[in-house]
Amino acid sequence: MSKATKGILTTLAISALLMMSAVATFGQTTGSVTMTATVSNFVELTSGGAVTLTGNSGGSIITDGTANSPLAVVVNLGELGPSNTNSFVKLSVPLRLRSNVAYQLSMVTSVAGAGATSFSLKDTDVGFGLTPAARPANLAAGVDTNATPGDPTVGGSTDANGRWVFAGANSTLGAYAVSGAVLSGPRINQAVAANSATNLTVPAIFAIKPQFYDPAPAITITAQFTVVAL
Amino acid sequence: MPRTTFIRSLLLTTLLVVSAVTCLGQSTTGTVTMSATVSKFVEINSGGAVTLTGNSGGGVTTDGVTNSPLAVAINLGELGPSNTNSFVTAQVPLKLRSNAAYVLSMAATVTSSGTTASRITAADVGFGLGTVSRTGLGVNSGSDTNATSGDPTLAANGSVNGTTGRYEFTAVRSNLSAFSSATTALSGPIIMNAVPRSNANGLTVPAFFAVKPQFFENGTTTISVTFTVTAP
Repeated sequence: MSKATKGILTTLAISALLMMSAVATFGQTTGSVTMTATVSNFVELTSGGAVTLTGNSGGSIITDGTANSPLAVVVNLGELGPSNTNSFVKLSVPLRLRSNVAYQLSMVTSVAGAGATSFSLKDTDVGFGLTPAARPANLAAGVDTNATPGDPTVGGSTDANGRWVFAGANSTLGAYAVSGAVLSGPRINQAVAANSATNLTVPAIFAIKPQFYDPAPAITITAQFTVVAL
Repeated sequence: MPRTTFIRSLLLTTLLVVSAVTCLGQSTTGTVTMSATVSKFVEINSGGAVTLTGNSGGGVTTDGVTNSPLAVAINLGELGPSNTNSFVTAQVPLKLRSNAAYVLSMAATVTSSGTTASRITAADVGFGLGTVSRTGLGVNSGSDTNATSGDPTLAANGSVNGTTGRYEFTAVRSNLSAFSSATTALSGPIIMNAVPRSNANGLTVPAFFAVKPQFFENGTTTISVTFTVTAP
């Protein structure tokens, strides 16, 4: 091997060594971490706390509501015939809503065991309404749209047959034989932790006027609420 | 490098699964279940003021008040021959309400200080229910069955016994002897439509009591009548 060739090879070897050293240096001083994530629509309905039963005769709360627990209230409204001399049997059920998106609360109801004559208690004899208050400052700003007329014991009158009629549209369970919206609005919660207690609490009021209904020993009224993200 | 990619993929998958489980855990439905009862309801009250006619020295001691409990007290006055009227008659309005078929029964007692066959007895006190009225908002139309013969003073309901000369109420259930124990006087279908109790209407019917002044044995007489309404 000539001296010139030896010199070239030596130069190439040194250059390769330097390049490898440079590459090795870059691999030790940089790096990357790539994260992906999702924020899903979140809507939640739970109990807003204890229910309130008034005007009842012989009724009672069988399974009460517990704040922030699944809503599964069971109530015996008691006597709904004329021996109950109260103006209304009234049940107020607090609903607790949370969301990070616009929501819609809907309800579907049924009345069973009341009989089938014109004098039997019907779904239109069960008044219903929500009474949401303005959102407090610790919630996302927004206005909720109440599709009900509010407290069903306000207003109302007797019809041409003398039977009590609740005032306004969507004021009885007759409007909810199929699922229908009762409340909707923009996102409820601000960007707070999931364990934040902030929520929108809305009383749901059910009311029945004691009347000369057909005797019925076991009437069952069921209301199922569902909240969805819009 | 392939190992690093695998670990990253595994972590991402785990994160997504945890996220999905968290979302599924939220509660979006709830139920309110209510039970209730409508019991049979029957009610009897006063239908208003009592009308006393043909009396001599009598008077209404405690009058009836519409929609108040029935507890009238009446002094029929003189029932002997010094009372020259044809009959001493007390008309007592009754008011019934129900959310079911009803039966109105009556039990009566007649006690007299007399001791002979000429004393006033239950058979000497005529009784009957008058025309039933189902009128007013919220009152159900229906046909009632009057088990009495109506106004006991009607000529068809009594006459002088050809043998004894004593006036007798002879028609079916036309005097209190037919009610020595609780006996049905009126019955019918549901009275009220599905209306609030505050609706003041109902079925009204006058109850007639009549005594023919006669040569009864002198003494004092107490006539007690109890009406009871039930839902069979």
